[in-house]
Amino acid sequence: MNAVKTLTKSGVMLVALLTMLLLPALAQENPKLSDPEVAHVAVVANQIDIGYAEIALKKSKNQDILKFAETMTNDHTAVIGQASDLAKKLGVTPMENAVSKQLLADAEKTKKELRSKSRKDFDKAYIDNEVAYHKAVIAAVKNLLIPETENAELKALLEKVLPALETHLEHAEMVQKKI
Amino acid sequence: MRERALRIVRTGIVLFLGLIFYVGCSSSTENKKEERKPAPKVHTVEIKQMKFVPAELHVNKGDTVLFINNDLVAHDVTEEPNGSWTSSALQASESWALQVTQSADYYCSLHIVMKGKIIVD
Repeated sequence: MNAVKTLTKSGVMLVALLTMLLLPALAQENPKLSDPEVAHVAVVANQIDIGYAEIALKKSKNQDILKFAETMTNDHTAVIGQASDLAKKLGVTPMENAVSKQLLADAEKTKKELRSKSRKDFDKAYIDNEVAYHKAVIAAVKNLLIPETENAELKALLEKVLPALETHLEHAEMVQKKI
Repeated sequence: MRERALRIVRTGIVLFLGLIFYVGCSSSTENKKEERKPAPKVHTVEIKQMKFVPAELHVNKGDTVLFINNDLVAHDVTEEPNGSWTSSALQASESWALQVTQSADYYCSLHIVMKGKIIVD
């Protein structure tokens, strides 16, 4: 139970972290995150959820969790594919930055916690984290990444991804109620 | 002379009955034309922004519904609640046609919050 609280807390902290890292950029006239950096944050955010899903597919026996994790793998892989295609088209190389580094570091801690769970506690920990993570990413894409983006096509892709993230959140909340 | 008159009357009766039969038949054909159902139509449901558009579709029995996936991610179209028919996964830009035999609720089994309805009028 405490561990579940820790994971939920980590989702809340992620929102706070993204806000803390990106708000100073928003406060300035020229955005601090360039489009290649925004692209990198977007790719990393998708990779992180694929990483969580890989753990779920190994550890869970619950059909709802397994189906959800499989959908996360497929959808986030599709989004990364679209982002890569767009980057190639625009001649842009996604650029590592403080936000994406911090996201990856935070995700490593969460993955460690998820791996340490017993099978009995894992399903709840995983789905609670998915709810918190999707809330955090939706907030970051909507309020921080989209406003930061200058390229119209990259902005359009981020806007197109939002409904998928919102559907994932709704799906995760449905599974959460059943666990 | 009497025989000739009888032949004329007989021919007249035959012609009269033939005329009645013809009128009867053509009138019955007209009725059948009126009763005939409209030709089957093809309706389109677009899958975009994680929604079936339109989510509710009115059709006639025998019509076809073409589902087109214009979204970023894969979707499917699966009858609810029994899963009695499914499109299987449709990747982006793929489509699938369903010939409608009865009203049905459906959903995307990959994204269980996405739902739609086909109503046979």
